[in-house]
Amino acid sequence: MTPPAGDVRVFADYQGDFTEEADVVVVGSGPCGAVVAKELACAGARVVLLEEGPPFTPDDFELDGALSMARTMREGGLRATRGYVMPTMQAMALGGGSLVNSAICVRAPESVFARWSEGFALEHTTRAELDPHYDAVSEFLGIAPTPENVQGRRNLLFKQGCDALGISSESIARNVRGCRGSGECFTGCRSRAKQSMDLSYIPAAIRAGARVLTSVQAQEVLHEGDRAKGVVGQVVEPLTGRTSYRFRVNAKIVVLAAGVMATPVLLQKSGNLANRSGQVGENLQFHPGVAIMGIFPERVEPQFGATQGYQSLHYIEEGFKLETLWAPPGVLAVRLPGFGRELKDRLAELPYSAVWDAIASCHRSLGSVRARRRGLDPLLTYRLDPEDVKIMNRALWVLAEIFFAAGAKKILPGVHGMPDEIFSLKEAEVLRDRPLKPTDIVTAGNHVFCTTRMHGDPDRGVVDEDGKCHDLENLYIADTGIFPQCTGVNPMLTGMALAHRTSGRIAEHL
Amino acid sequence: MAWVFLLVAGCVAIVAARRLFFGYAAPAQPLAALRLGEYAVVQAAANAVYPPGGALEASGEQARVGAYADRYLQALPARTSTLMRLLFFAVEHGTLVFAAPGPGGRRRFSSLATEQQVALLESWRTSRFFPLRLIFTSLRAILTMGYFASPEVLRPLRLAPYAIETPVREADLLFPGIGQSRASIRHTAADVAASRETSATPLDPDGPLHPRFRERT
Repeated sequence: MTPPAGDVRVFADYQGDFTEEADVVVVGSGPCGAVVAKELACAGARVVLLEEGPPFTPDDFELDGALSMARTMREGGLRATRGYVMPTMQAMALGGGSLVNSAICVRAPESVFARWSEGFALEHTTRAELDPHYDAVSEFLGIAPTPENVQGRRNLLFKQGCDALGISSESIARNVRGCRGSGECFTGCRSRAKQSMDLSYIPAAIRAGARVLTSVQAQEVLHEGDRAKGVVGQVVEPLTGRTSYRFRVNAKIVVLAAGVMATPVLLQKSGNLANRSGQVGENLQFHPGVAIMGIFPERVEPQFGATQGYQSLHYIEEGFKLETLWAPPGVLAVRLPGFGRELKDRLAELPYSAVWDAIASCHRSLGSVRARRRGLDPLLTYRLDPEDVKIMNRALWVLAEIFFAAGAKKILPGVHGMPDEIFSLKEAEVLRDRPLKPTDIVTAGNHVFCTTRMHGDPDRGVVDEDGKCHDLENLYIADTGIFPQCTGVNPMLTGMALAHRTSGRIAEHL
Repeated sequence: MAWVFLLVAGCVAIVAARRLFFGYAAPAQPLAALRLGEYAVVQAAANAVYPPGGALEASGEQARVGAYADRYLQALPARTSTLMRLLFFAVEHGTLVFAAPGPGGRRRFSSLATEQQVALLESWRTSRFFPLRLIFTSLRAILTMGYFASPEVLRPLRLAPYAIETPVREADLLFPGIGQSRASIRHTAADVAASRETSATPLDPDGPLHPRFRERT
């Protein structure tokens, strides 16, 4: 088949209702959807890639953290779970979360796949099977460890602390080319170094003939019997969210890559599609994150250096991963305790500070995603299991150890019921010894999983190992919702590797 | 009996209206999204949390936290901005249930003395009742974001964003800025090729700040 020339449409291009014909329609231009669109366009398929958000140019980036989130995130970046109240986010931009994440690319360890294989009847989802797909994505994006010259002192202090304690650590591999260490990953990379999807996979997809429609919201998957027929939805005005013209894309194959919190809603809004197993929207998992700020005797100048340049996988089998972190100062300062002059004294110490965090593999803690009566924003419920809180308890203690080993003069744990400031490792033992309640900790649910999980048994999962829905012939899902369990490490690369594999399977059927 | 009921209901309505709508001063700049009462509670809380002087000179008011909250509310989608308004309402009138210490502790938050506002917020911060802590955390998050959006706060800390030369990428030939048409794209393939030549050197700590954060002379 000869693909047509690639094309892009933005909000200004829409002048009325329209219909498109395609071999494959992909809903969502985040890391997984972008991989599918590019790979299938390169394989010669007529691909239409739909994205609800607009493309962001550097002039559209907002340097302030909260205003940036209000522009690039659904619900203005203020989405939270019910039950256990935890903020979580979903990007709404061309390139999805890759526009505003810190570009961390980690391959999931063997042990994760062993758990998946054993618990979810997945014979072919092993690390060895996925390595060629990891390789393909890594090569395309130029994934490489963060170079020393852009680490900045904040990241290197973490390494110093780990080295002093004999904890293994490593420079974080990222999808970045030519990083300048501006620490602006979360508000959009003005250096254009981060290989977010809008700079990498999507232009390549367009080059290969894909049509990219931005500012369009997919609202329903059309289906007849056990076949999906396409997608319908409406044009959405950027930033205001006002809907207008209607569209329809007729396609031989539909791929949902709208994200863990949107794909199940889309299925639920499409007549509870692909849900014979009853698992659509169930099993919601996160990597809740906790962080500690440390204050050092000398200036750290934490704004310089890669946003997240160093990590430790030392405790991965205990259920947590450690990382360095930088975010817009207003976002970090939110964690500081106190009032008035006391608070201002603490703020004045920010140039002497470093923030390190831990993400916890909380596979006992589960929630759900439900469609609301109106709109596509989900209703999220979540319960943090006390056993998983113990993981965070332990992670906080290890972070404290690393800070003091690196020479911090004090730490600010930001935990309810704990001292605001801790000045020695001896004092920090309270973090180790006092059991925490879920509501004691300020967490954020950064990585989201499992709401359309993969399972070898059609009665217990939504998709098979190829990402194909058990219930429909030609409906695929390609986002981290298909993970049967959280990975314990940053999921973007694994999601992309699985999407790469799914693309190959789809190409075989075209 | 009915007229007694109506009289009482009328009195309650007048008192409620006075508490909700009257006695708020208009800000120097017109508001885009915040209502007068909401602006008042943000400004009062900002000054309670960030008083003038100390290690950082600017107060919440000087850092224009109220104007920031106005801009932020405008940027939020409708459902989220409603939740934000509820938060401001809860703070302003939460004193009816959780009175501030001292005389007149049930007045609306923005009418309390600064010491009462500080004491009330501190009691919410350390409360064993999680929803109160959540209200406090949410409010202070907005105030802190606003405080740290101010160049007057960021510059002395050397945390203001730097000027960064943005290279041209293939994407810049494909995608226009938000709200613009593709006809507005001015970059060419030659710009992309030229940008490829530029080397990626780490940011210079002594380099110029982003224009919006430079000191005005």
